[in-house]
Amino acid sequence: MKLLSATWFLAATALAQTRPVALQGGTVLPVSGPAIPNGTVILRDGKIAAVGAQVAVPAGALVIDCRGKYVMPGLVDAMTSLGFAANDLNEPSNSLTPELRAIEAFNPFGTMGSGKYGPIRLTESLSGGVTTMYIAPADNSVIGGQGAVVKTAGENLESLIVREPAAMDLALGDPPKKAANQRQRDPATRMAQAAMLRQMLIKAQEYQRNRAANPTAPRDLGMEALGRLLRKELPGRVQANSATDIRSALNIAQEFGFDLIIDGGAAAWELRSLLASRNVPVVLGQVSHPWVSNEEIPDKADYPPVDEASAAKLKAAGVKIAIASFSRSFGSLAPAGSSKWLLLDAAVAAGYGLSEEDVLRFLTLAPAEIMGVANRIGSLETGKDADVIVLDGPPLSVKSWVERVFVGGVEVHSRQRP
Amino acid sequence: MRIPIVVLLAAAAWASAQETTAIRGATVHTAAGPPIPNATIIIRAGKIAAVGAGAAIPQGARVIDAQGKHITPGMIDEHSHIGAKATDLNDRPMIIGPQHRILDALDLNDEQWKEAMRGGVTTVITGPGSGENVSGQALVIKTFGDDLPKRILTERGGMKFAMGPKFPDRYPATAMGVAANLRQYLIKTQEYTASWKKWEEGDKKGNPPARDLGYEAMAEVLAGKQRVRAHVHSATDVMTLLRLKDEFGFDLTLHHSTEAYKVAPEIAKRGVNAVVMPLGPRIGISEDVLEGPTVLWKAGVRIAMHTDAPVLQQKWLRLCAAIAMRYGLPEAEALKAVTLNTAQIARVADRIGSIETGKDADLVLFDGPWYEPRSRVEMVFGDGVLLYDRQKEEKK
Repeated sequence: MKLLSATWFLAATALAQTRPVALQGGTVLPVSGPAIPNGTVILRDGKIAAVGAQVAVPAGALVIDCRGKYVMPGLVDAMTSLGFAANDLNEPSNSLTPELRAIEAFNPFGTMGSGKYGPIRLTESLSGGVTTMYIAPADNSVIGGQGAVVKTAGENLESLIVREPAAMDLALGDPPKKAANQRQRDPATRMAQAAMLRQMLIKAQEYQRNRAANPTAPRDLGMEALGRLLRKELPGRVQANSATDIRSALNIAQEFGFDLIIDGGAAAWELRSLLASRNVPVVLGQVSHPWVSNEEIPDKADYPPVDEASAAKLKAAGVKIAIASFSRSFGSLAPAGSSKWLLLDAAVAAGYGLSEEDVLRFLTLAPAEIMGVANRIGSLETGKDADVIVLDGPPLSVKSWVERVFVGGVEVHSRQRP
Repeated sequence: MRIPIVVLLAAAAWASAQETTAIRGATVHTAAGPPIPNATIIIRAGKIAAVGAGAAIPQGARVIDAQGKHITPGMIDEHSHIGAKATDLNDRPMIIGPQHRILDALDLNDEQWKEAMRGGVTTVITGPGSGENVSGQALVIKTFGDDLPKRILTERGGMKFAMGPKFPDRYPATAMGVAANLRQYLIKTQEYTASWKKWEEGDKKGNPPARDLGYEAMAEVLAGKQRVRAHVHSATDVMTLLRLKDEFGFDLTLHHSTEAYKVAPEIAKRGVNAVVMPLGPRIGISEDVLEGPTVLWKAGVRIAMHTDAPVLQQKWLRLCAAIAMRYGLPEAEALKAVTLNTAQIARVADRIGSIETGKDADLVLFDGPWYEPRSRVEMVFGDGVLLYDRQKEEKK
């Protein structure tokens, strides 16, 4: 009994923050406000307790000298399919599966049959400074299922979850077409995609009416989930890269009155005025990934030539944007960048009309706001989760490394190698 | 009097080639020595006439002010497939086809030439793919200009080997089969050369031996006139190539070289080069592989970067070098890996690869450090002509 409680105590100290941390003397980039040279950030009880130039260090705090370093919020990767086994990325049997939940395929525990007991650390993402990410089924289905916002480190799977479900995840264009063609089922065309989606949403409207009239009518999980979309409890995130698909998404969202987020958005800049006027945010992917060629983008036919200035054009038009990695974990030929390179991929956009502040906001606060989790993460503000990264140089330089990563005030990653 | 327009154009081209240009004020990264701050580069007749902090600007020279900018040599991509259709790159059933030449599939209208140039890549080694164990001959070619013969630096741009391809249903289906098949072909090449030598030394009496384009091409490799560019990922296959080199004595450059770092001393000992940073830094490429270029450099291996364009966009060649820097490669070595080293490996360092007097005036002007993701190419000069000017392009 004694032994057991001692073990429990050790584990607990490793998992939750027990001692305040003071990150002292660095260039603090809160994102929510201007840079603070020679600033200090206090992490206490898993939250940010103070941020500023003149901040008192609490008694007993672990003081970390950050002089010459950069301190900023952990990055938020607003689109990934990380943690999915390759055969769990898509439900191949049907293109309309709103009942699926990404969290039920999410595996942060490592390869089957190996690994040790202990807290969860998604090292690849943490090494790039990513502390929160959106996970969704991949893009082979028109309605893929429900995505979630999770952290990349924590005590257990439950503690990783920030918001679940966080969105209804959809895709238009080539990927669902291609998947359907391979299996000789619908939708074979863009017309069929739009019609199937409309029919499904109409069915969902009818289902909500029927259930309201007759509460003992048989339940349907998919229809219930779509009900949350129609009641605006969840946004609809539609992967749409070509202008045609973005237009369809805008039309259908308006017709059924749900909150829309465009994912991918390679051609979104062409429709920037419309997106701005409808207040539809865009989570950009791949357009700024130097490591992705047109050849390897799976829905190549959907892509206009890669335009690194997309982000700047959308921003200038007043569209709310984030930049995400669109990472998938299937080996060395993943079609998109990795979370590990998110900061450097986005740095390219700073050469194409974005300021450094823009780039950092599009990787932190902007995605947190778009995903409805900015009350907890995305900036260095008192009361938010103590998810903080320390870099050894300017964040957008190829030479800079993420040296330390804190999630909930606990140091969950530090750079091991020189 | 009417002067034919062709003559006028030719005269204009001649004038621009003869014109003297001075670029002053930039930090010049020559690749042949330490960076020169506030330097002047004098360009005359398409060549670099002078470079240095105190280079005098001749009277009448066109002066370009480049204060605060960074200038590097035109970059060189040692492994790409631009200028040919994807369907023309591989003749898989052949398995060994040294007689194939990328020259015979070259498409000068490919948009990728222009994209490469605008990205600061002024010369590429472009060649056949890796669908066969020997897929043919690459070209060393500039990415700009209308005059094809002038663009080509050498037609002997390398014989492409590939240790990857195997055939599940026919020979060779294993790494052992690939090695034995290559060895057998090289032996046959030796015998072919010997039969010709015998005929020539016998005063060319009787019928000459039957010509074979494949053996003829491979004979150039064995004679040292042509070099080998070998697609290879595993350390085991690297060792097979080194063994073949020991047996047949050819000039060898490893390509992709994913696991080459695991056998770095063996590679260095034989003076073999390595083209590194496979497929850019992606998910699944381990930290160990990302440190590979530095490990190889420390062991004394001459390294160069590649994009495998269109796999990566050519304009990010510089970022392949930058990522190697991130993993420990000194800046000067990283720059050489996209300029001088590549020129040396491709045997064209007398013409290109560094900013030195007498070399072709292929230059790239950046608005910040050449290795930073956020820096942009501002100007590109090729053979002394201003090919790309970002300010002007963006005004269009």
